[in-house]
Order: sequence, then C-alpha cells, then structure tokens
Amino acid sequence: MTEPRIWDAYLTDRDKQVFAASGFGALAEWGARPALLVIDVNYAFCDTEPKPILDSIKTWRTSCGEDAWEAIPVLQTLIGACHGKGVPVIYTTGHRRADNWDSGSWSWKNSRRKEEKGIGGMTRNGVEGNDIVDAIAPGPQDLVVQKQKPSGFAGTPLASYLQLLGCDSVIVTGTTTSGCVRATVLDAFSLNFRVTVVEDGCFDRAQASHAINLCDMHAKYANVMKSGEVTAYLSGLGEGMFDLPSGDGMALEAAE
Amino acid sequence: MTDHFEDHAWKDVAPDDLLEIYSAYRRDTFVGPNPALLLIDLYNMAYKGGAKPPLELQDTYPSSCGKYAHAAIEPTKELIAAARGAGIPIFYCTSDFRAMNAPRGVGATRRNSTPKTAEDFEIWPDFAPEPGDVVIKKQRASIFAGTPLVSHLNMLGVQSVIVCGESTSGCVRASCVDAYSNGLHVSLVEECTYDRHELVHKMNLFDLHHKYADVMHIDEVTSHLGDLASTRQAAE
Repeated sequence: MTEPRIWDAYLTDRDKQVFAASGFGALAEWGARPALLVIDVNYAFCDTEPKPILDSIKTWRTSCGEDAWEAIPVLQTLIGACHGKGVPVIYTTGHRRADNWDSGSWSWKNSRRKEEKGIGGMTRNGVEGNDIVDAIAPGPQDLVVQKQKPSGFAGTPLASYLQLLGCDSVIVTGTTTSGCVRATVLDAFSLNFRVTVVEDGCFDRAQASHAINLCDMHAKYANVMKSGEVTAYLSGLGEGMFDLPSGDGMALEAAE
Repeated sequence: MTDHFEDHAWKDVAPDDLLEIYSAYRRDTFVGPNPALLLIDLYNMAYKGGAKPPLELQDTYPSSCGKYAHAAIEPTKELIAAARGAGIPIFYCTSDFRAMNAPRGVGATRRNSTPKTAEDFEIWPDFAPEPGDVVIKKQRASIFAGTPLVSHLNMLGVQSVIVCGESTSGCVRASCVDAYSNGLHVSLVEECTYDRHELVHKMNLFDLHHKYADVMHIDEVTSHLGDLASTRQAAE
C-alpha cells in the first residue's frame, strides 16, 4: 500500500483493511497561512535533562522522559524555520493557582495530583514545571498562551489570535500526543483550521498511545507528517506574510 | 463639537463633557478586510403591530420595536442588496425554537416571557434568506454564543463583520462585543439597527462605537460594498 507508518505495528490486519477501504487518511490541503503551535513543552513534561522515563517520573509525574529530548532538536529546527519566514509561533503551557484549587477535573484521574497542592506547587528542585524548556524558549515576537485544560483553545484567546493573524491552518507539535496535542488538534479541526501534526515533533509518555493517537489524527483530523516534509513546506512560503507582534518591550521578559 | 466621528444618533443626548471624556477613542472608521454581513434577529416578532410607538404595542406585541423596526426596513433591504452585489457571505440569526431544546430559564434576556410561536421567529419576509445564506439558530443574546459561527467565518477567511438588526442594547451589542473579542473588525450600520426606546438605542450605539465597533452610516457601508462589487465584476 503506502510507506510504513509508526502506528502500523499496533494495527490488526482488519484495521488496515478498514482504513484502506473506508477512505480515511487521505491527504488534506496544507492551507496557505499557518501558525506553528508548540504544546506544553515545559519542564513538567520534559524534566530538565534527558532521563529514562521511569526515573524522571519520580520527580515529574507527567514527564515523557528521553522521548521529549528527541523531539526538542526537531522543534528547534521548525521554530527556526518559522522565525525565518515570519510565520507565527504560538506556545502553550499550563498555569495554576499556588493552592491548586483550579486544577478542577485534573484531580479526578491521577493519584499523584495531590503532590502539586500547597507549598512547592509545580516547582521541583527550584524549577517551575510550567516554564517552557529553555532550549526552545519563546522569543519576543512569539506568543505564549496559558491554559488550564488539554486543548490550547479551551478558555484561552488562541482562536482570536489566529483570527487576528489571518491564519487558515496550524502546524501542531509538542506533548502529549494523546492528551493536549490531540485535544488542540480536535478543536482546531472543529474551527475549520487545516491541521498538520509533526510526527517527530510530538511526544508522549506512552509509546502505544503516541502511535495510535497519531494514527487516529491522521485518519480523521490532520495530516501527520515528518518534520522534513514540514520544513520543506515552510521553505516554500513567502516571507513576512503576517503582522506579528513587534516584540517591543518583551526582550527583558524573554531573557529571564 | 460634533465632527464626523460623533455625527451619529447619540449627538443630541451626549453632553460635551462626555464627548471630552471619550475623546481618546476618536479614530477613522471603516469596513474591514474580507467582510461578512451579520443580520441580528430580523424576525417577525420585532415588526408585529406595525409602525407604532412600542409602548402602544406593549400589551399586544411586547417584543415589537414598532416604528423603529419599520423605519429600518428600507435601509436594511438596501444593505442586504449591496452585500449580495458584493458577493460577501450573509449570516442571519434567530432564536432556536425547537421543542425540548434547552432547560428552563434559557433565553436571550431575563424578561418575563410571553407565549411565542415558530412564526414569531421566522425572518421578516422583506429580508427572506436566499440559497447560499446561512441562518444561525441561537439560544442566547450573542450570535456567537454556543453556535458554529466562528468555524464558518474561519472556513470563509472572513476577517471583519458588518452588523445590523435588533435590539441595539441586547443581541446586537452582545454580538458586536463577541465579534470584537474574536479578533474581528466590526462595522455597525446605524440606520439598520434599532431598539424599543431611543435613549437605550443611542447610548448603546455610543458605547459600541467608542469601544468595540465602528458605527457607520448606511451610505458609507453601501458605497464600500459597491466598490467591492465593481472589483468583483472586473475580476470576472
């Protein structure tokens, strides 16, 4: 049929036949005015250095371990390509009251959520879990959306930013593939934005979840592409298409 | 101190000190790029009882805007015709009147409700939607609240909206503020917008104009739409 994909190993023969026969996974158009979304690539999901995941989650219960750090050079390349063309780069990360009251539904499904209540909150060894990893830190002209729920759109100004920028599409990267990436992809799709998911620019703490969620998204909501294909697409875009933030007065914040 | 920016319905009720306080809002007004037309609540109920003062219609047609609604009919026809000529997307909205559609207490306002029929919420025949138009059914004041409108606008590449309809203080205001909050440029057509009382109409137009929307006169908007129509014809 087609080239091998990361999810092939998890599919039954019947699944493969069903996908082939039912028309899912066709390649959609890219759109002409994308924004790059970098979902939740912060210390809580990456740790401060590549560590085997079973060690890393002792400190950061949401860590994706070494898989996060395999994606970070890919993100650096994509972010650099977008900066070069003046394509908007929009990061998301979490934010929470110190007393964790607003964790809301998150506390229903994880037995270690209580570690984030009270003194310390999301801070471990002096590192704030919601800070975006320094290796891909936002620049003064980038946008950072703070969110409390899986989707980058839920209760945030993200949709209005995309409207102001005149975007017709999003290129989604970050973590976790099965959680916040998927939720954001779904909402972007529901708002009629074209969606590309960067396979090697996304990561998850569960390997099977990563693969199967990419499979689902590619079948129904997005083009799941390798980063090489995405940078080739970005290099074909015109420069300076977007009225980006000027970045004035942001240098100090970015340097912190 | 009435200049073009303040030359609108509120000029006879807005005192000079108010205009001075709001002087920082003065700017050029315009129709934004890639516009769509939003026609808010142009349904039969607003026109019932004819062109009378709303107070006289209070007992028989409590939701009618009477003479204010009827005065807006001709300019609204003109605006819709200009939008069709320019080929821009046209969205209507009306109340979601399906049975069993919402729990008790859901509505566009907190008003004591009176019995209504499906016919009350059909679009007034002068403005009948045509194939290709979109009619949004809503349960609250804003055309954006709980509706797929944003996804439609994204698909069409719409970046600004031209708004008119009723009531200025209720659904028009809510829709304009939500449009603004969604990153859209908003132009509100004065002659095609109305309420049940002049004072409420005027002060709500004042608020919207200074903070969220460009209140414009019908001839300014139809002239812009005429230019779009010419560009469109030249391209064909």
